[in-house]
Amino acid sequence: MDNNTFIKMYGEYLRDESRLVGNAESIVFPKSEAEIISSVKEMSRKNIQITTQGARTGLAASAVPYKGHIINLSKMNKVTGARYDEKMDRFFITVQPGVLLSELRKYISNKSFNANDWDEQSVNALKYMEKNQWFYSTDPTETSASMGGIASCNASGAKSYRYGSARDHITGLRVVLADGDVLDIKRGQYIASRDSKFRLVTEGGREIIGQLPKYKMPDVKKNTSGYYNMPEMDMIDLFIGSDGTLGIISEIEVELNKAQKADWGATIFMPDEDKSVDLVRAIRHEITVDNINLKLNPSAIEFFSHNALCMLREQQKTNAAFSNIQEIKESYHTAVYIEVESDSDDVVWTEIEKLGDVINGLGGDEDDSWVAYNPANLEKLHYFRHACPECVNMQIDNIKKTDSRITKLGTDMSVPDNKLKAAMKMYNEGIGENHLTAVIFGHIGNNHLHVNIIPQNMYEYEKGKSLFLIWAEKIAAMGGAVSAEHGVGKLKVPFLKKMYNEEELNEMRKLKKLFDPAQIFNRGTIFEFEEDGK
Amino acid sequence: MRIIVCIKQVPGTNEVKIDTATNTIIRENVPAIINPFDTYAIEEAVRIKERAGAEVFGLSMGIPAASEMLKEAISLGIDKGVLMTDRKFAGADTLATSYALSRGIEKIGEYDLIICGKQATDGDTAQVGPSLARTLGIAYATDISKIIEIKSNKMCCLKITDDGYEEIEINLPALITVVKEINMPGLPSIKSMKKAKNSKIEILTFEDINADEDRLGLKGSPTQVRKTFVPVHEANNEMIEGTLEEKTEKLSDILLKLRTEVK
Repeated sequence: MDNNTFIKMYGEYLRDESRLVGNAESIVFPKSEAEIISSVKEMSRKNIQITTQGARTGLAASAVPYKGHIINLSKMNKVTGARYDEKMDRFFITVQPGVLLSELRKYISNKSFNANDWDEQSVNALKYMEKNQWFYSTDPTETSASMGGIASCNASGAKSYRYGSARDHITGLRVVLADGDVLDIKRGQYIASRDSKFRLVTEGGREIIGQLPKYKMPDVKKNTSGYYNMPEMDMIDLFIGSDGTLGIISEIEVELNKAQKADWGATIFMPDEDKSVDLVRAIRHEITVDNINLKLNPSAIEFFSHNALCMLREQQKTNAAFSNIQEIKESYHTAVYIEVESDSDDVVWTEIEKLGDVINGLGGDEDDSWVAYNPANLEKLHYFRHACPECVNMQIDNIKKTDSRITKLGTDMSVPDNKLKAAMKMYNEGIGENHLTAVIFGHIGNNHLHVNIIPQNMYEYEKGKSLFLIWAEKIAAMGGAVSAEHGVGKLKVPFLKKMYNEEELNEMRKLKKLFDPAQIFNRGTIFEFEEDGK
Repeated sequence: MRIIVCIKQVPGTNEVKIDTATNTIIRENVPAIINPFDTYAIEEAVRIKERAGAEVFGLSMGIPAASEMLKEAISLGIDKGVLMTDRKFAGADTLATSYALSRGIEKIGEYDLIICGKQATDGDTAQVGPSLARTLGIAYATDISKIIEIKSNKMCCLKITDDGYEEIEINLPALITVVKEINMPGLPSIKSMKKAKNSKIEILTFEDINADEDRLGLKGSPTQVRKTFVPVHEANNEMIEGTLEEKTEKLSDILLKLRTEVK
C-alpha cells in the first residue's frame, strides 16, 4: 500500500493522545495471540519494525510508529478468565490487552462476563465474586485506556496514593517475543538473584539468561522512567512499564481489590499554596496540627494550583460544559482533593470532623470545602477534578488552530517526600521567570504533579520545551523520576538522558537486545536505537 | 419569611429493579438518596434565604431512617428537618401523600412558600406538588426554572412550557415545583456537615397531626397498580465500516434517510 493510501485509510493510527504524528506502511488488527505471533514472525523475517498499539490514549507517544508495521490490539478485547484463591481470599481476572479500562470496570461492577469460552475453573471462580463487591484499583483519568497500554506504561492515576501503580496489581503476563515464541510469566515465578542474574524459559523451551543493569532507580513512590530494575526483583516487573519495547503483551492477569463500605471525598480550598502543602503533609501524617490525630488513609490526594482554579473559574463563565461545577469563589486560592474509603459511616464522620479542625488549625476555613459521601455527589467532585486537564486540552485545541505545530506541554515528574516543596518552588519560579501560562494539578500525595504549560505561540512552545529539560535535570538531581506514570515513550527520551547517564542507558539497550536482538519492537521508545549510532 | 421544602428519599440508582412477583421496587442493597429534583428545591430555598432572609424547613414522610436524609438536607443549608413517620402513613399513593403532607404543614404552622422538586425519580408522577397545593387551598405553579422576584405577598417566576418560557405572577402563600434548570445544587462543607450532625430532626406521628385516618396510607389511596414494568430502551447501534470515503458516504445516506423519515 502506498503512503498516501495508507494515510487516507489508517491515518488515525499514526498518532495517539500525545498528538505526535508518525509514519507506517502496514497495519494488522489481530484477534488472537496466534495472529500476533504470525504477524511478528513475518515482520521478523523481513526485518520490519513493529509498533504495538492499544487504545492510543498514551501521552508519551509510545504507540506512535516511526516506520514499518503496526500491530493494533484493539480487537483483542475479551475477558478470558477468572481465578479465585480461596486460601488468601484473592480474586483475579485475565484479560486480553485490548480490553478497555471502562469496559473492565463495567464487567466487574455488574459482575457480568461473557464466559462462553471460559474454562471450568474460571466459571467456578465467578461464584466467589458474588460474595463481595470488587474493583480494579488502577485508575488513570482516561478510562478509554486499554489494559495492555496500562501495563506497558505502568499507569496509575489518582488512587495510587493508597493502591500504588498498575505493577502492584498485575500477577501474570503473556508476552510474544521477537521470534514469535511466548513468555508466560506469573508473579513469583522468576526472581532475579542477589547479584541480579536471571533466567527465563519460554513456552518453546528457549532459555533466556541475563544480567540486570547496575543503575539504581530513584527512591520515589511513582516511577515509570526506563526499565524497572533492582536485585532480587520479580522478572514480571521488567515487562511492566517497558513501553512495548521487549515484546507484545498478549494477556494480562490482574488482581482485584475488595470495595470498602463507605466512599467519600472532599475538595478543600486553602488560602495559599503553602497551606495546601501543609494540609497534604498533615493528611500524610508528616506534621501534626493542634495535636489532632488524623487517621485518614486516603486513596487519593490531589492538588489544584491557583492558576488552575482561575482557569476553571473563567471557563465556567463562558463554557456551558463547565456550568455544572458549583461556584469557585474568588477567595479560594488553591485546592486539595482527597478521596477516602472507610469500613463504616461512623469512622467517616469522626474523620471529617477532625479534618475540619486541622484545616482551621492551619489557617484555612472548614466552610471552604465541598464534601461528597454518596456516589452521585462523588461524581461531581470527579467531574471537577477531570475538568482541569479537559480545560487545558480545549485551550490547546484552540491555539492549535493558529499554529498546528503547538502541542500540550505536560510534565509527569515525581520527587521524594522531602523535595515536594522544592519541586513546587522550582515549577512556580520557572513559569514566572519565563512569563508562561501554566496550571499545576495532580497527585500531590505521591509528590507527583502535572505541570501543563499552555503556549500561546511557537516562541512560548519552544521556551516551555527547554524549561522541561531544565526541570528534568533538576528533578533527577533531587532524586526524582522524569516520568511517573505516562511512560517515557518517544517524547521523554531526552528527559531520561537527564536521569541516567550514557553508560546506564547502554545497560538498558543491552537488556532490550537480549529479548529483541534485531530491535524490531517500538524503536525510538525509551532510548534512541542503534541506527542513530547508539 | 418561612419556606417549606418537601423532600423524598428515593433509591440512588437510575436502574430501578422491580420484583416481578410483588410488583414493588427492590430497595435492598440500593443506597437511598435525596430525590435529585428535591436537591434543586433545597438549593433554591437556601438561595432565597441567603438573598432575602428566611427560615427554611425540610419536610419528609417516610421510614425512620429518612431522618439521616433530612440531616443531609440540613448540611445543604436548610434550618430544620421534620419527619412524618408512622405505620399509618405507609403505602400511600400521591393523594394520601399530599393529604398527609398537608397535615404536617399545618402542624409546622405559618408559611409563605412551599417548594417541591418537579417529580420523584422513583415514581415519576409529578402529582404530589400540585395535589398538596390543592389540599392546602393555595396557589401553585409547576416547572419553575427561575424565581425573578419575591415581594411581600406575591412572587414572579419563569415557568418552562412545551413552547418556551412563561413569566408568571403568583400570590403568596404558594407552592412551586422546580426543574433542574433553576440552579446548580452545591455540596455541603465540612462546617455545614458538623452542624447537621449535631441537629435534631423533629418527628411527627399520626398522633401529632390531627388527621383523618381514612385518608392516610393504603386506606386513603384509591390508586390501584395494575402493572409495573421497566421501560425497554431500544438502542440499535450500527457500525459503519470501510474506508473514509465509504464511511462518509454511508453516513450521509443514513442522515438523508432520517431527514426524509422526519419529514
